[in-house]
Amino acid sequence: MTALDPKLTWRQYMTAQKQQPAPECDMRVAIAGSMTVEPLEPYLGAHLLGKKFKPQITVGPFNQLRQICNDHQAVLGEGPYNAIALLWRVEDLFPEMLAHCLESPAAVGKLLGEVKSLADAVSCLRKSFQGTLIVSTPPYPSMPGFQVLDVGQAAAGMLAYNVISQLWTREIAQLERVRLFDLHGLMLNAGIKQAHDVRKWQLYRQPYTETFWNDIGRILGRMIAAEKLSSKKCVVLDLDNTLWGGIVGEDGLEGLQLGDDFPGKAYRDFQRHLLYLKSKGVLLAVASKNNPDDAYEVFDKHDAMVLSRKDIAAFEIHWESKVESIKRVAKRLNIGIDSLVFVDDNPKEIGEVMERLPEVSCVTVPEELAYLPGLLAETEFFDIAEVTDEDRRRTEMMAADNIRQQTQETMSEEEFRKSLNLKIVVFAAQKQHMARVTQLINKTNQFTMTTIRRTQDEVEALASSNDSLVLGMDIKDKYGDYGLVGVSILKKQNKTCVIDTLLMSCRVLGRGAEDTFVAKLAEAARTLGCEEMRGKYIPTAKNAMVKDLYKRFKFTYDSQTDEWIVNLSNAPQTPAHIDVELRLSDKNAGSISASMV
Amino acid sequence: MSDALIQLFAEVLQVDPAELNDNSSPDNLKQWDSLAAMSLVVAIEEKFKVQLSTKEIMKMSTIGLARKTLQGKKVAL
Repeated sequence: MTALDPKLTWRQYMTAQKQQPAPECDMRVAIAGSMTVEPLEPYLGAHLLGKKFKPQITVGPFNQLRQICNDHQAVLGEGPYNAIALLWRVEDLFPEMLAHCLESPAAVGKLLGEVKSLADAVSCLRKSFQGTLIVSTPPYPSMPGFQVLDVGQAAAGMLAYNVISQLWTREIAQLERVRLFDLHGLMLNAGIKQAHDVRKWQLYRQPYTETFWNDIGRILGRMIAAEKLSSKKCVVLDLDNTLWGGIVGEDGLEGLQLGDDFPGKAYRDFQRHLLYLKSKGVLLAVASKNNPDDAYEVFDKHDAMVLSRKDIAAFEIHWESKVESIKRVAKRLNIGIDSLVFVDDNPKEIGEVMERLPEVSCVTVPEELAYLPGLLAETEFFDIAEVTDEDRRRTEMMAADNIRQQTQETMSEEEFRKSLNLKIVVFAAQKQHMARVTQLINKTNQFTMTTIRRTQDEVEALASSNDSLVLGMDIKDKYGDYGLVGVSILKKQNKTCVIDTLLMSCRVLGRGAEDTFVAKLAEAARTLGCEEMRGKYIPTAKNAMVKDLYKRFKFTYDSQTDEWIVNLSNAPQTPAHIDVELRLSDKNAGSISASMV
Repeated sequence: MSDALIQLFAEVLQVDPAELNDNSSPDNLKQWDSLAAMSLVVAIEEKFKVQLSTKEIMKMSTIGLARKTLQGKKVAL
């Protein structure tokens, strides 16, 4: 694809926007750099359009990063912006000092002081700006003494660059919710020569080729979108010729290709990537046509297996169709069919799944096996803004779920609920909960009344306001800890409490958790001084399961406002078998408001 | 007159092609600022599949001069 296409897309969109009396916009982004960054606008814009946003992009003035950090509204305009992205290069900001670094170690120290001070400026901006904040790594400098082909001169330049880059990365990583965009890495990926256009640098102080700006636009677009969009949750894997080479039922354990030599190495490296995805909270599942004993034997006995049985959240090993297996995986893990990625080497299986389950993203094992390890690395399926503790423990929690399910099958519903020893805490969300709360807000599709998506900053603002309450729900039972699995946002309007958001992870339904949550919302509303509670059901393609939720809890429907209303004197009660606690007291005294000062 | 080059300038500068002619230059067209100049170079290179040298870019101070440069590079306009 040529670089022309995104630019054309963007130009057409901009022309259409200009013809609107009040153009719609749901994503305001400001970009600025130590160099000319105007060429980025159409590429970033087109990539955001591709993610179904209606973007508006403001380009900040040339080389005014510090001014932007000090007072972004004065330099960029009021916005309000959903995201600001800042790109910088050491050679633009500190050219003289950088040149001195090649001769004297003392100069390096001085330059580090400047870099630290720039990081402090970013920290300042973080406090005054509520949206997504992205800053680049400094790319390896383009200036005398730093040229890669300057034979014999590598050490001084490398040493200086490495300490600068390391200090910057460490400082930025320490700041909360400042996303680091690896411009340096992207430049290496493209190739230093391929990324630069020296003519444009000389003429316009614009260092990069159009192709490289397109690369930058794509990655920034993904980073910005990851804050708002939900990613895929599970990879469903075939076994034979996908996780290992060969067919276990025919070749036997010893005949499989899996180990340190190609092609076994390609499969092994692919498994390593899958394990990495698991550490980010992606679930792994298996869908294989095999004899279960043969397949399990590989997991249990093959020395070269990287994945073990406990890394797999759901096994579907039998001779039924992959379509059926995939549906069962979604059901067992309680996730939407559209949050699955299916990997198989057999084009027929892929074809059948694509046809019958078009929501599933399908990936075929490549003919060239050397590409297998990177197969999922270069996709956007698993773009996650921030990995939470719940993510890291997800597979273990799923394992506890399986034990619960087996117990449930042997007992009556009532007995089962009592036997769980459910312990629920509903609490005013604090600073440490914000990442997880935001994640649930943005990825819950089924048990959600309004499906209103928000950024972490928006959630924090609501949590620190006196007129609203952000509640989280933690659930534990005798089999394990589910963690934070429910979120509600209440807004006080005089004597009325509006349920802006009410959602839960589907994994915890059917135990009385939803009854408990609604009962505790009513109690929280009473402590806010309210007399009634109102909430909407906003239907989407996926949330039909909560259509009658308010009705079930004896809310009455007001067709005028399309709201469900309940008088708090008459609100639902907590079910008897549940140990439940409501903690609201540390609201406002908590660390959220303190950290904002 | 309106040809592929005028169309390209009109599109990049966001002006009516009727307002443009071979004498159009940064001096008589406020949309043609230095950032627009950069976009024009990119658009010309991509549309006509040519690579311009800095010397050629510097000389393109009117649409007519741009046309001359491109014709010199055997671009059919």
